[in-house]
Formats: sequence, C-alpha cells, structure tokens
Amino acid sequence: MELTIVLTIAAILFGIGIYGVLGQTNLVMIMMGVELMLGAAMLNLVAFWRFMHPQTFSLQMFVLVIMTVMALEAAVGFGIATQRFRSKGSVESEEASDLKG
Amino acid sequence: MSTTALILLIFFGLVAIWFGWRVFMTSSMVRSALSLLASMAAIGAMFLAMEAEFLGILQIMMMATEMSIMAIFMTMFMMDPGGMGGMDMSHQKIPSIGGGMIVGALVVCIAAFTAWGNMALEVPLPDKQNYDLGMELMKRSMMIFESAGTTILVAMIAAVSTALPYKSDIDGN
Amino acid sequence: MSQTVYWIVTILLFTAGVYLLAVMERWAVYGRLELTYPVKSWLSLLGQESVTPRKLDMVFYETAPLLFITAALLAAMVLPFGQGSPAIDLATGALFINASLAYVMVAVLMAGWAPNGVYAMVGGWRFLGQLIAYSMPIVMAITATVMRAESMALTKIVDSQQGLWNIVYQPVGFLLFYLSSMALAFLPPFDLPVAPGTLAGGVLAEFTGVRLLIFRVGRLVLVMTLSLATTVLFLGGWHGPFLPDFVWTFLKTLAVAASFFGISRFAVRIRYDSLLAWSWKYATPAALFNILWVGILLLL
Repeated sequence: MELTIVLTIAAILFGIGIYGVLGQTNLVMIMMGVELMLGAAMLNLVAFWRFMHPQTFSLQMFVLVIMTVMALEAAVGFGIATQRFRSKGSVESEEASDLKG
Repeated sequence: MSTTALILLIFFGLVAIWFGWRVFMTSSMVRSALSLLASMAAIGAMFLAMEAEFLGILQIMMMATEMSIMAIFMTMFMMDPGGMGGMDMSHQKIPSIGGGMIVGALVVCIAAFTAWGNMALEVPLPDKQNYDLGMELMKRSMMIFESAGTTILVAMIAAVSTALPYKSDIDGN
Repeated sequence: MSQTVYWIVTILLFTAGVYLLAVMERWAVYGRLELTYPVKSWLSLLGQESVTPRKLDMVFYETAPLLFITAALLAAMVLPFGQGSPAIDLATGALFINASLAYVMVAVLMAGWAPNGVYAMVGGWRFLGQLIAYSMPIVMAITATVMRAESMALTKIVDSQQGLWNIVYQPVGFLLFYLSSMALAFLPPFDLPVAPGTLAGGVLAEFTGVRLLIFRVGRLVLVMTLSLATTVLFLGGWHGPFLPDFVWTFLKTLAVAASFFGISRFAVRIRYDSLLAWSWKYATPAALFNILWVGILLLL
C-alpha cells in the first residue's frame, strides 16, 4: 500500500513534468520540467529500495547517478542557452525553428 | 512503516505535487525556480521519511544550489522575469495538458494494478546504510561510479566550450 | 547526562553565546564594550515601524528572514556541545550542516529579490556567486575530516581528534574552512551582499523593524553556528584538560568567533572578481590537495 502511494505521487509529478516540457516555450522552463521528471524517477527508485529490496544498495547508487544526470543536464543546458542567447537574443523554442536542417 | 512516517510521507508528497504545479503556474521566474526547489526539497523529505537518510540530505543540499542557479538563469534569459507584464509563456496547451494527464494516468494505473508482492518492513540503520552504500560504490559498482565521474568531467568541458563566445564576437564583429 | 539536562544546557549556552557575540560585534565595529547594548538595540528594532516597499514580492519578503534564522539554527542543532549525544544525533551530521547552510544562500537570494529594489537584487545575486564558489572548499574540508573519522556522525569526528586536533592534522583544511565560513556569514572581508558604502546596505537595505531584527539575530546565530562547527570539526570539540566538556566547547567557540570579528575589523573588502577568482583558482584546488594529503596520512 505504501509503495502504491509513493508511486502515485511520483506519477503525478512525472505528469506535471511532461506538461512543463511540452507546454512551456522557454528553454529554462523546459529544463525545469525535465528536472521534475527526474525527481519523480528518483522517488520511484528510493521507494523500490525502501519497500522491496532494503539490502540492495545498487538502487541507492542509481539514485546518485540520477542526481549526477540532473546536474549535468542543467550544466549543458545552460551552456547551450548561453550560446543561443548570445547569437539570437532569445531562448524561446518557438523561435528556434531555424535549427531545423 | 509507522503511522507517523506514513502521514509525513503523504504530507510531503502533497507538498511536492503542489509546488511542482506552482512551477508552471506562476509568471514570476524566481518564484517558479524556488517553487521547484521547494518541490525537490519535499522529495528529499520524502526520502527521509522512507529512512534513506544520506540520500534525503544529499537531495536537499544539492537542489538548493542547483535551483538558485536556475533562478539566476531564468532572470537572465526571460523577457519578463518579474512576471509583472503578464506574458503567456506556454504554447500547444491542449496537447501538452492532455499528454501530461494521459502519461500520468497510465503510470498511476501501472502502479495501482501491479501485484508488488510483500513489503519489506525493516531497513538497515543509517550508519549501516552509509557503510553499505560506500562499499557498493567502491567495490561492485565502482566502474559505473567512475564513469559517472568521467561524464561529469566531459559535461563540464562541453558546457564551458559551448558557452564560450565565438572568436569573431570577441573581436567585436 | 540525561537528554533533558543536555538540551537545557545546550540551549542556555547557545543563547549566551549569541548574546556575547552581539556585544563582541559592537566592540569590533565601534570599539565600544557595552554589555547592555544588544538588549537596547534589539528592543529599539522591535519598536520600529515596519516600512514595506512598493510592489514587493510578499511571500519572499516574509519568508526570507525566517528561513535565514531557521537554516542557521538547524545546522546548530546537530553540532555536539558536550559528550553524549547532541540535540539530534544524525548518522550523516557532517552532510546535514552543509545542507542547512545551503539554505542561507536561498534566504539571502529571496531577501534580495523580494523588495523590488536594485541594490538589494544586486546584493542577492552577488551572494549567490559568492556562496557557490565558497561552498566547494567548505564541503571538501568537511569531507577530509569525515575521512579521518571514518564516519559522518559529528560525535565520532570529535572522538577521532582525541590525540591530535584536526587543525594540526590538516592545517590547509582548517584555513579553507575558516575563510569560507567568513564568506558564508558575509563578515567584512567578504561582505559583498551587504557592502555598506558601495551597495548602500545591499540585501538588508529594504528591511526594517522586526524583519531586520530577525536578520541581525540570524546572522549572529549563523556566526555562532559556524564557530561551533569550526570547533567541532577542527579544534577538537570538547577535548581539553581540567575543565568540563561543555565549558571547553563554549570557550573555543567564543575564541573562534572573536577571531572572526577581529579579522573582519581590520580587513579590507575584496573586489567581487578577485573573490571568485581566489575561490575557483586557489581554494578549490587547495581543498582537493587537502583531501589527498589526508588520504596519504591515513594510508601511512
């Protein structure tokens, strides 16, 4: 029962994250949506560790890897955003159609 | 799991959902970034309620810095960072709301209708957890952990080299 | 010692420490030693009218002072004053200090954004850069002490310094932690977010009355917490001859705080670019060297 509760919370967070990624126009806001989705994934992993395999620490290690991925996603995303803003003056996804081949 | 821990778990879960929702519903960008911070800190508190002490505290610590950096980039790149102009920063509303709801509902269904088997009742003490996690990192999963470190290095170099201005920009052309 | 007595003694000593720090700050800034000054000053701030700026962000404006003092107090709660368990004995106490002190940055950033003023916002963003740069040496210096104790519990870290204090064992780490603590508490050589003279009060410029009081007391609590952390992590905690353990921790903490204020009285404010350059170019590599140093010493 507890596991289902946590998984439901994580699923709702994941849904909000998907809305953010699809519905927001700004690159930084899209990254926020991705962060929410990754947070939901971490929540799932910790729930599986706590309620199903408390002796398996690969799960906790996987959470650490996801935290790393969050930080990296932010770093590379901001790098791209900085360059885009410098050359085009905007990081709106609506105005990024010139990236199409 | 004790009743107190369960109540705390549900409470922080609701806090995380509420602030996660606020992220996309406010027009002030600093509020948006700090709502995300509150949501992430609530997820960290849920880790603590699930007795993963190290991960919970690490999550709470890392997100403070990360989301503050988000806040400064938001104010740098947005046209209306204070949210006083009342700009609409969203597009393709119906597909995105629909997509979010459908995916969320699917995942909820998977969570609800799977037979998860027996729940574990006891977890190791925090001391033991830290020790075991360290042993896991430095013995069995060392290769994975090291490659995560290398990935950090690569991403740092990539981010810096992406963000550097072109030569012609420096010369003033 | 029972837990209740421990709590009472800790709270009393901490409060006394904060009061003495207020006296000390007055002495360091104005050169006057007045024992009743904090009471007078705090009462006058309580009675002052709370002026609020126009078009402010009300949520942040109310939250920022409370978050500031809460973050400092939370970090203080895991630090052990005497033998036995601290107020909250966490197995990851050393990480918890970092986690709660990171929220000092969030509070200052909120306080800079909320009042809708230019100087306050510049101060807030400045503190963001300053604290991200200086939290690296803090985290790595704490990591080195954790390596020596082979545990993240703070009582074990103090126990590991039984024979030799960490200040002798890893002097580079102590120096980095000391200077970064000053940067975290924005004491004068690093007081860029408030910067009287260039930013006209900076972050705290738009706060008056009770909120300013909370900020002032919160900063003293922060200095007290950081001095206590320096004592616990590097100066051997409660270890010392003759006197009881509580007294030793208290005296060492006050000495560290006095040295903070003493240095800040005579130091010149650092320019923001050299502040960041020093941290990223020199302090972070030095912290990595410190970890290597401790690792080699542990293997010998």
